[in-house]
Amino acid sequence: MYPKGGLEKGDPPYRGEPTLIWAHVKRASKFLILLTGTDEETRRLIIVLAGEAAQKRGYVFFSEVKFIQESDLKTIDELWKQYSDNKFGYSVQKKIWEKSDRDFTKFFIKVGWMKKLEASEVEQFNYRSFPTEFIWEMDENTPEGHLPLTNALRGTQLLTCILTHPAFHGNEEEKGEEKGEENGVPEGKGKKNEGLKGLRNRIFKTDYSF
Amino acid sequence: MLKLVRTLPKVLKYLPSDKAQDARMYILSLQFWLGGSPDNLVNFLKMISGSYVPTLKGMKIEYSDPVLYLDSGIWHPLAPCMYDDVKEYLNWYGTRRDANEKLKSKNAPIIGLVLQRSHIVTGDESHYVAVIMELEARGAKVIPIFAGGLDFSGPVERFFIDPVTKKSMVNSVVSLTGFALVGGPARQDHPRAVEALMKLDVPYIVAVPLVFQTTEEWLNSTLGLHPIQVALQVALPELDGGMEPIIFAGRDPRTGKSHALHKRVEQLCTRAINWAELKKKSKTEKKVAITVFSFPPDKGNVGTAAYLNVFASIFSVLKDLKNDGYNVEGLPETSEALIEDILHDKEAQFNSPNLNVAYKMSVREYQRLTPYATALEENWGKPPGNLNSDGENLMVYGKQYGNVFIGVQPTFGYEGDPMRLLFSKSASPHHGFAAYYSFVEKIFGADAVLHFGTHGSLEFMPGKQVGMSDACYPDSLIGNIPNVYYYAANNPSEATIAKRRSYANTISYLTPPAENAGLYKGLKQLSELISSYQSLKDSGRGPQIVNSIISTARQCNLDKDVDLPEEGEEISAKERDLVVGKVYSKIMEIESRLLPCGLHVIGEPPSAMEAVATLVNIAALNRPEEGISSLPAILAETLGRDIEDVYRGSDKGILRDVELLRQITEASRGAVTAFVERSTNKKGQVVDVSDKLTSIFGFGINEPWIQYLSNTKFYRSDREKLRVLFQFLGECLKLIVADNELGSLKQALEGKYVEPGPGGDPIRNPKVLPTGKNIHALDPQAIPTTAALQSAKVVVDRLLERQKADNGGKYPETVALVLWGTDNIKTYGESLAQVMWMIGVRPVADTFGRVNRVEPVSLEELGRPRIDVVVNCSGVFRDLFINQMNLLDRAVKLVAELDEPEDQNYVRKHALEQAKALNVDVREAASRVFSNASGSYSSNINLAVENSSWNDEKQLQEMYLSRKSFAFDSDAPGVGMMEKKKIFEMALSTADATFQNLDSSEISLTDVSHYFDSDPTNLVQSLRKDGKKPSAYIADTTTANAQVRTLSETVRLDARTKLLNPKWYEGMLSSGYEGVREIEKRLTNTVGWSATSGQVDNWVYEEANTTFIQDEAMLNRLMNTNPNSFRKLIQTFLEANGRGYWETSADNIERLRQLYSEVEDKIEGIDR
Repeated sequence: MYPKGGLEKGDPPYRGEPTLIWAHVKRASKFLILLTGTDEETRRLIIVLAGEAAQKRGYVFFSEVKFIQESDLKTIDELWKQYSDNKFGYSVQKKIWEKSDRDFTKFFIKVGWMKKLEASEVEQFNYRSFPTEFIWEMDENTPEGHLPLTNALRGTQLLTCILTHPAFHGNEEEKGEEKGEENGVPEGKGKKNEGLKGLRNRIFKTDYSF
Repeated sequence: MLKLVRTLPKVLKYLPSDKAQDARMYILSLQFWLGGSPDNLVNFLKMISGSYVPTLKGMKIEYSDPVLYLDSGIWHPLAPCMYDDVKEYLNWYGTRRDANEKLKSKNAPIIGLVLQRSHIVTGDESHYVAVIMELEARGAKVIPIFAGGLDFSGPVERFFIDPVTKKSMVNSVVSLTGFALVGGPARQDHPRAVEALMKLDVPYIVAVPLVFQTTEEWLNSTLGLHPIQVALQVALPELDGGMEPIIFAGRDPRTGKSHALHKRVEQLCTRAINWAELKKKSKTEKKVAITVFSFPPDKGNVGTAAYLNVFASIFSVLKDLKNDGYNVEGLPETSEALIEDILHDKEAQFNSPNLNVAYKMSVREYQRLTPYATALEENWGKPPGNLNSDGENLMVYGKQYGNVFIGVQPTFGYEGDPMRLLFSKSASPHHGFAAYYSFVEKIFGADAVLHFGTHGSLEFMPGKQVGMSDACYPDSLIGNIPNVYYYAANNPSEATIAKRRSYANTISYLTPPAENAGLYKGLKQLSELISSYQSLKDSGRGPQIVNSIISTARQCNLDKDVDLPEEGEEISAKERDLVVGKVYSKIMEIESRLLPCGLHVIGEPPSAMEAVATLVNIAALNRPEEGISSLPAILAETLGRDIEDVYRGSDKGILRDVELLRQITEASRGAVTAFVERSTNKKGQVVDVSDKLTSIFGFGINEPWIQYLSNTKFYRSDREKLRVLFQFLGECLKLIVADNELGSLKQALEGKYVEPGPGGDPIRNPKVLPTGKNIHALDPQAIPTTAALQSAKVVVDRLLERQKADNGGKYPETVALVLWGTDNIKTYGESLAQVMWMIGVRPVADTFGRVNRVEPVSLEELGRPRIDVVVNCSGVFRDLFINQMNLLDRAVKLVAELDEPEDQNYVRKHALEQAKALNVDVREAASRVFSNASGSYSSNINLAVENSSWNDEKQLQEMYLSRKSFAFDSDAPGVGMMEKKKIFEMALSTADATFQNLDSSEISLTDVSHYFDSDPTNLVQSLRKDGKKPSAYIADTTTANAQVRTLSETVRLDARTKLLNPKWYEGMLSSGYEGVREIEKRLTNTVGWSATSGQVDNWVYEEANTTFIQDEAMLNRLMNTNPNSFRKLIQTFLEANGRGYWETSADNIERLRQLYSEVEDKIEGIDR
């Protein structure tokens, strides 16, 4: 139902210095054409970065997020943004979350982690089923901030801690700029996106073969 | 044994023989299996296959030793191990590197969690981890304990109570198991659970994970939580005093594992912390929002609650809180001044009903504070709307005194809108309603809300029946505030709705002390005449006195109740006796009827003498299971009579028996009074019952009841039986006069555990006492009990006899009846059993005593045809007893499919006809169990009548049809209620009789609007092809001698004992403001009966007019005490006349019109 977000038991625990994380991230970036893999790798990395106990457990306890280095989280986020044309990444999610008044239901609906229940008499939403109902495609139908997935099986405190991590503290200031952008030059931005989309379609063909 | 399993393998390892190795493997297998974790199971398979699969034997498959888990202990996802010592756990907790300052602070609240071991061991614990994270992230420490068995009472005491100080180490406890503390789903031991929780003395919440439904199924269901889970995981924990059945975990359909529901977890955790904070905060800083109700919306009704003098009670509560250290600055000197403060707006706001405005909330602020505001627009448009609004702002009415806010809960808002009342589903709360609760939570910042008295509308707002989701209004409205609710002890069913839907900690209050209705005016004269007849009947003056009796009885309108001969008609001595006997029996019935006099004030328990009438009635019931004989039975026995025999004779009007019964009643009262007098001090208080009692008991002739009886004809009564009975009455007396209502409230506000106790009728079940308990219902699967079935048979037989007698010996083919929640709780399912006995089935219980099957009773045994039924379940019954609805529907379908002749099985007869007419199969046609749509209550006829917002009876009938036509289908139980209006109409059209039960002496037909709200008598008439009015009956099982009366007889009895009885209305008027409203309410409910059944006699209105309007002094008292309610009273009289229910002189009507404009002026004048 949800992203499993755990290390496989067999994976060697990460024991290096935080700066050496790059090797892992680079390994991840190779997979960026395969969003599924990258997404999984991101969650694996978060666990690795949270420390040995988290690795042994197989998931991150919310209070362990503070052990993650600012630079490491930033790097992961930068890679996501860079390769998704600012569509994905934690900082992208953070903006959406802040705009939703930090209400996770509103946020989950916006990033497409929850779906509307058609059979319900009142307007209600349920979590999407993992993995079949999530989208690992650089498609315009994929909602902004859809990736990377963070496990909500254990509630929302883990994600809260990631989104409020000092690595993303700069984002509040961007709020203003972003607004300006929205009002100011929407057309130009749209065009740029279209150009990139073509490129993406050529380079990032979806392939689930491995 | 387990110890052996642990140590044996170590010993066996060093024994060489194969046999020993096999034994070792066997024990290891056990360890792997009991350890149950995924790792253990993998290693188990490795070990077994490596050792016993021939081809693998040489391969030396490596496996690890089993990991053993504690059987019970403390578990935390971050901890290196499980602990079986709380100090060790806390030591580790203190060294956590990940914890922030807030969590480490000494002031952090500590929440105890109760978990199931199997979830932890098997790794299906995501939902537990979610709760732990949420609590810690909000700055609360946790102590999560688990146990493998079904008894958590031991671990709770061991891990939550400091072994040295014996004090609780936690501030609140949340069980995430959903089970009763002792016994889980199997055999519970509630007393043991309560004992453990009393020691702990903190709020105890039992949250529920979904088990039988996936998340999506629950979200889509209007029922909410699956009925089986409701029975096992909501109803049973309530008996332990468990609160807040919040669904916190869903189920993934793919993996079957539990997962957190993030908003629900948030709701659960903030509420658990807020309960814990009540324990931590000082009294001076604690903020309490007292919420009063206004039903129906009218200024004269502010502060309505059943049996309660609300403002006097609030005043008494606040005085007490003030002495206790709460900040109640500016509290007026008297309760009258308190009323003035709240009711009258000094600055008269435009478009306000002149209540004091406590806060004006701008639309912008409202929207910011109320996340669900947009969802209300579908029903009410954009805020602010026109309810509780000045056109720009939303208005919160009430008044603040220091840290206490007294506010008026807004009303449904659609009471005056006939169109809305017709909708089969209820409308959402309006903006003003939502604004009220946003104010209380977010602007006033209440630490707790106290809902004052039975009952408001919050818990009846739309949403799931049980197991609220984010989209259910009661849950959204109550938000994060701990909810304490003063609730009448006699209403466990609606109290349960408040508990489940609005998370209330219900604290019971006593209904006012009952008195015997007594006799007045003509009725009193009659009784005097009868007594002179008895002494003079053989003196030749007999015929003359009988003539006076007959004419007086006629003046008293008794001619409809007793067949009176024409005046002057010559009748024989024997006939004279019979006429007098019948009148006498009626008089005695009226005289001995119990009525609650006046209104209860919290903190003022009845004096011992006020408890006498209640005790006499407690003494009138046989309690064979406790070895207690009833007082009337003991007394009758003295004269060699069987009391049942005397009852029957008296019912028939045999003068000798009526007189004997009167003597028995008198002797009972005398004996109990003598007893009570002796056990109290001069001030009438029961100071030291136990001491007094020991000195009383066992002194034979000195026993006060013996002394009393020695001067009567019952002087030879069985002393041992009397001693057993009076010992029991002594216990009851202590409980009646105990004063725990204020104490329990203070406990709740201090974050302590409030002892749970059953709600119900104190006469039937003295365990209801003392009040001040957290009310619960009962195990819904325990009903109907065998005893209930026995009583049900008596009532059904009497009902059928009565109907036959009035209808040329013909059985009714169909009876339309009502099932009430409270009724079935109090009587352990008597009315449920009545339905079963009518259609001829018998409930069958399993080994745990749970009723989940029925079997047909043969026609031979039944000795009559099976009677068809149309069952109208109240919305509350539906919420509480959905499994029993399922059982009933199965029973009806079973009976419809029996291969029996149609003239012996009316269920089958009608179902076949209906199946043919509607072109459906018999099973579907045999739908007889109806109620409202889920999350919707009542037919709304009550609202329409109370607010005079209806045009004609047709409209009321249409309401009934559209709102009550939702059937429960046992062939599709998960679907919930489905609209089946056509079958409902067809079934009703076959009804020859309508029928309801009265369950308590203190609630009769005109006391509440529920009874006429659910009465279909006129509706059935309009549906019947022959247009004939069905007979209407009311069963009264509140006294030892159960009665089936016609509806009109009961209406008359009720009018005579209440509305028209000086004892009753003077009692009410002594409560002032509220008293006028109580009088008006009875009259309005009487109009309700005219509207739904047409069974109210003209004289009832005429006498009421004489009593309240023609009496100038009375008139002025009413007008001055509560002009708003008095205006409504006048309006109701005029309405009764306008609608054709009351014919009277033009003078009377003119006077009423004139009074109406006078009181209007008066109200204007007062307010200006």
